[in-house]
Amino acid sequence: MIALDASRCLGCAACSNVCPNAFITLEQGEERTIRFNRCSEECHLCVEFCPAKALSLVPETEETSITFPLVKCPSCKACYATRPMLDRVLSAVPSHLQIDAYGTGWVEICPSCRQDLERDRLSRQVIQRRCRIEMR
Amino acid sequence: MPIYVDVSRCVGCRSCEVACQRVHSVTGHIRVGIQDDLASVPLVCHHCQEPTCAMACYSGALIHEGERTSFDLNKCTGCGLCTLACPFGIIHVQKVAQKCDLCSGREAPACVTTCPAQALSMMTYEEATTRLRSLAAAVVVRGGRA
Repeated sequence: MIALDASRCLGCAACSNVCPNAFITLEQGEERTIRFNRCSEECHLCVEFCPAKALSLVPETEETSITFPLVKCPSCKACYATRPMLDRVLSAVPSHLQIDAYGTGWVEICPSCRQDLERDRLSRQVIQRRCRIEMR
Repeated sequence: MPIYVDVSRCVGCRSCEVACQRVHSVTGHIRVGIQDDLASVPLVCHHCQEPTCAMACYSGALIHEGERTSFDLNKCTGCGLCTLACPFGIIHVQKVAQKCDLCSGREAPACVTTCPAQALSMMTYEEATTRLRSLAAAVVVRGGRA
């Protein structure tokens, strides 16, 4: 059986990703719920791959689950990550890299909006030049 | 050596996407986006000098070596921390992280050799910054016009 230390869990779902028998399931909407079902195997993959070392295998315990509210992207409102995952990124990345050359704190916006921003910045000069050629 | 993207040359044909999918089977690592119907922008891993994805990766699947950030498929757990740690939103996770490996084993990345408009090229950091500096200088010479 899998025991969970809820205070350590990031909600990244690496455990459900590596579980070969789908004993750990993931439900996602506005919240993310990870369910740890009864597991009779002793493969240790989830324990080994957990980034927060929140899992352990114990002989007898109840089936557990954990629910995280998902952080919403301020611009597109998509639910994209759990708070502990973002905190983990913020603690791993040095503070001078958390803000890009344009002064944007990129960690708090979702990856797809980051792509939109990057595309907008890269194409701005080209578009300005093309508009100018059209106006001549 | 990272891939240098010249946005002004890109014609938006998506040949690079096809070439990348051909080499990496199914999921490509380069994505061409169209901006306001006026420009097409290929987005691909920058192989940053200070890679934040590798800083966030706890399993050692992403490692900065020389002028590239290499990815070890066997170590990836698909936790998605690298996706959240990429400032450009380029890495995505489909079971495992999907990231440009500069076509290791090939002489040059397939996207670079395929691009019909020479919008993609291989450059060292020094070559790329020298080029950007001379482009900026040319703008000054023209009296500030882009």
